[in-house]
Amino acid sequence: MVLKRVYKKPLMVGTTGKKAKKTWFDYVNVILLVTFALLSIYPLIYVLAGSFNNGSDFINGGIYFWPRKWSVENYQVVIFDVRLWKAYGITIARTVLGTVLGILYTAIVAYAMSRRNLVGRSHFYRFFVFTMFFSGGLIPFFWVILQLHLFDTFWVYIIPALFSVYNMLVFTNFFKSIPEEIHESAEMDGANEFIIFFRIILPLSMPVVSTVGLWIAVGHWNSFFDTMIYTANENLWTLQYYLMKVIKESSMPPAGIGLPPELMNNIAPETVSFAAIVVSVIPIFILYPLIFKSLTKGVVVGSLKG
Amino acid sequence: MKIFGFIPSPRIHMDEVSPLATRHKKKRFTRSVYELLAMVLLGVVFIAVFAYLPMFGIILAFKNGDGQLNILDAMFNSSWVGFDNFKAFFEDPDFANVMKNTLCLNSLQLLINFPLPILFAILLSELPWKRVRKFIQTVTYFPYFLSWITYGGICLALLNSDGIINAILLHSGLIADPIEFVGDPKYFWSIIIITSLLKGMGWGSIIYIAAIAGIDPQLYEAARMDGANRWYRITHITIPSIAPTIVLFFILSLSGILNNGFDHIWTFQTITNLETSEVLDTFVYKNGVITQMYSYSTAVGLFKSLVSILLLTLGNWLAKKFTGNGVI
Repeated sequence: MVLKRVYKKPLMVGTTGKKAKKTWFDYVNVILLVTFALLSIYPLIYVLAGSFNNGSDFINGGIYFWPRKWSVENYQVVIFDVRLWKAYGITIARTVLGTVLGILYTAIVAYAMSRRNLVGRSHFYRFFVFTMFFSGGLIPFFWVILQLHLFDTFWVYIIPALFSVYNMLVFTNFFKSIPEEIHESAEMDGANEFIIFFRIILPLSMPVVSTVGLWIAVGHWNSFFDTMIYTANENLWTLQYYLMKVIKESSMPPAGIGLPPELMNNIAPETVSFAAIVVSVIPIFILYPLIFKSLTKGVVVGSLKG
Repeated sequence: MKIFGFIPSPRIHMDEVSPLATRHKKKRFTRSVYELLAMVLLGVVFIAVFAYLPMFGIILAFKNGDGQLNILDAMFNSSWVGFDNFKAFFEDPDFANVMKNTLCLNSLQLLINFPLPILFAILLSELPWKRVRKFIQTVTYFPYFLSWITYGGICLALLNSDGIINAILLHSGLIADPIEFVGDPKYFWSIIIITSLLKGMGWGSIIYIAAIAGIDPQLYEAARMDGANRWYRITHITIPSIAPTIVLFFILSLSGILNNGFDHIWTFQTITNLETSEVLDTFVYKNGVITQMYSYSTAVGLFKSLVSILLLTLGNWLAKKFTGNGVI
């Protein structure tokens, strides 16, 4: 696996000179790209408009960009749904725990694999890489989950996702690019490999940690397949699984429980599911400026160049 | 590496290297090696349990474990049947359909959703307005962070008979009656391709944008001096410079040719569009987990794994042949 060293400059460098005269191509190009950008974000505008619209009014159609009859009742229903908040808790817990542990577990193995004096390194390498291309498949994996008594526990979200060969290779590539002198001088000061890893190598590797961390975190946040297969209990529902239930199976939050009856006339299954979607996207929305900043600074992608 | 520009690295000359360090090199099993082995052991144990142990479970594919109470019974209390499960899959009336859907959907993805992010990155890098460029990047990267169930769930609503797509088509007089896009097998592939572009093209372009940003601006400067127009600058500088990145990601995507992105398909799949929406991943899930045909679905999964390896080897061989270097 070669993750080649091709990225040198921060992102966003044009290939035309600054003072170059604008041609018709520039105008066509900008219209094309902006149109695409607006199309790709349109579903979110739609879902926002729908979620703030009166449910029974929404069914009449015609809500595309802006609510016609403002209402927050869809959100009231969602907020009263205990399942959502439980799912929220599970998802946040698995994302935070899974990302932190996943990074540490993968990075520590990657560090050892990046050291030239590791005995049998090429054998370990083959042992790991083979599994990238061949796997037992779904049912045999399920069997292992059952054997380890992970089925229907919270840990089924964390443990099988602790380590990934692909991420390990990304880490290894980065660690190899750290000057050997740093390691040597630490070793001379009497530090053992664990101290070198935790105190020196890991702090130096924040770009790659944030890249891989972002991948792992997004994976945890968005996953619902493991809930669908490896759990059988509502208390372990993740946010995405909850959304799937609400969207695909139109399973409305328990009607009438703790809700005033006049509220029920102002909502519809669709608008309630929109409100649920909006509520689930809020954390990503809040974190996005931070993520985007690191993306465009080249930190995230740049760390792949190792 | 640029990121290390500011790290104060101790400048040690070769003759100053401590005798300790050189002695380490001679001895094979030093304390350091034992520590590293302990670290690697973490990975070895994990992979042994979660990757190699399931491979032992492949015996299910050669057993008659369908309809057993649980996987354990299916594995150890059932009889060997050789390749019967594979035969059953090849003779399954769904076989042709599932294979067709899997391969066609993936080939379409490879033909359309692989090159378009490259084009997107090139067009974006040609934009002379920095702020517009940033706006487009901000907006198009965002959907990547949403799950398919979220983004696709909204698209489902847009494609409804009273959704905006139908409203536009009806209004412009192109159709007389609203179309049930999601329920109709005719439209499934187009929906998958278009939604995956909308959600993923921005993010997919990021690696190429970075690659283009890494090209020496002097090359463009020189080309401009020589009177090369934009087309020449793109085809003679940009594309050749990012070719290694393109090849690498082409092969990586080739290896996933039988992985259809379960989440994506699952979001849009309905009972009425199964004819074009059933792919290997969903087929294995339904047979294995829902109807508990343990052996049958393991056989299908194994078949999938083997074809993937075959395609990957083929892709790597082609890459070696045409570009001189393979990936693996």
